[in-house]
Parts: sequence; structure tokens; C-alpha cells
Amino acid sequence: MAERQTVDARGAFCPGPLMELIAALKLAAIGEEVEILSSDKGSVADIPAWVAKVGHSFVGSTEHDGYWSVVVKKAK
Amino acid sequence: MASKPLFIMLASGEHEKIQLAAMIASVAAVSDRPVQVFVTMNAILAFRRGVTPQERYHGGYFHEQFVTKNVPDAMELFEQGRMLGEMQMWACSLVLDLNHWDAQADLVEGLFDGTAGLAKFLSDAEDGELITL
Repeated sequence: MAERQTVDARGAFCPGPLMELIAALKLAAIGEEVEILSSDKGSVADIPAWVAKVGHSFVGSTEHDGYWSVVVKKAK
Repeated sequence: MASKPLFIMLASGEHEKIQLAAMIASVAAVSDRPVQVFVTMNAILAFRRGVTPQERYHGGYFHEQFVTKNVPDAMELFEQGRMLGEMQMWACSLVLDLNHWDAQADLVEGLFDGTAGLAKFLSDAEDGELITL
């Protein structure tokens, strides 16, 4: 199973969660997963589009009570 | 295929437009799109070094919410775009001269690559897409 780190960006508005995810991915190793916790619905929709654009892998997203967990795997 | 470079001319001093410019610039830069930002007219006042967000930002329906809620600060977004992507920022030499400001001494530290004139920026922008705010 891939290594995973979690970044808690709950409470931050767009594009805060995306920028925090990108900063974490920069430091992650290829194959590592980053889970971002976000209460910003727009960011949850934006992140898969950004992942597709730049060539990482979207693992999935899960809705919790008032926030989402979005997981991305660093692919390059 | 490489993305077309994005050129943003930021002239308005309204907080909403500065925020939008910062959002567009930072997200484009981290999406593998080269970005150049030219800051001129009223907008340059928001980039003054050593002022509080209350002094820096004015105007727009969402201004109050930007400064009181957890919305990323525009200066920090520009900084993140520069750090995480391919992005350059230029201060308009005309407005700096008029205000007797120096780009390295009077503007937010580490944000600008230098000063530029409009002709150079427009010439460079012919190779990409230009947005004016």
C-alpha cells in the first residue's frame, strides 16, 4: 500500500486547499499519496481537474460530515 | 502540448480584482502554464511593502469577507504561484517613477522580478493570452 500523508485544509476557501495539496505533492515521493481534507466544495471539484491537467493520479474523494477527503497519488 | 502563456495586466486597485488576478495567476502557474503579471495604475498601491491587509485592500462587494474569513491573501497566492510554478511579476515603471518608488525597496519583498514598460509587456503578450483586470 502506498505511503499516505494527510493535510488538513478545512476552513480554508478556494484556492487554499488546492495550493496546500500542491505544496505537499512537491515534497512527496513519486508513488506517495496525499490526502487533503477540505470543507470547500469548489476545491473538491477543482482538484480532480487539476490532477488530470498536470498528470498525477486521482485516487478518490469521500464525503464526511461537513468536509471531504480527497486523495491524490504523485505520479511524476 | 505546452499551454499558451498567460499574461495578466492588473490595473485596478479594487480588492476583488486583485484577488481574482492572484487566483488566476497562481492556479495557472501551478497547472504548468507560464504566467506573467504586469502591475500598473491603482493596483500598484496594494503591493506597497509593510502595510496591513486593512490598509492594502479596498473595494468590491466581497472585500470584507476576503479579509475576515479564511480566504487566501492575494500577496500569498502570488508568492505561492511564483514558488510552485513558472510565474514572473513586473511592476510598471511609469507608476513607480510617478510615486518615486523603487521596486526592490517599496514593494512587497520577493514578489517582483523587476520593472517593465507597457510596450515590452504587450510585445511579449502577443505570444499568449492576455487578461486585463
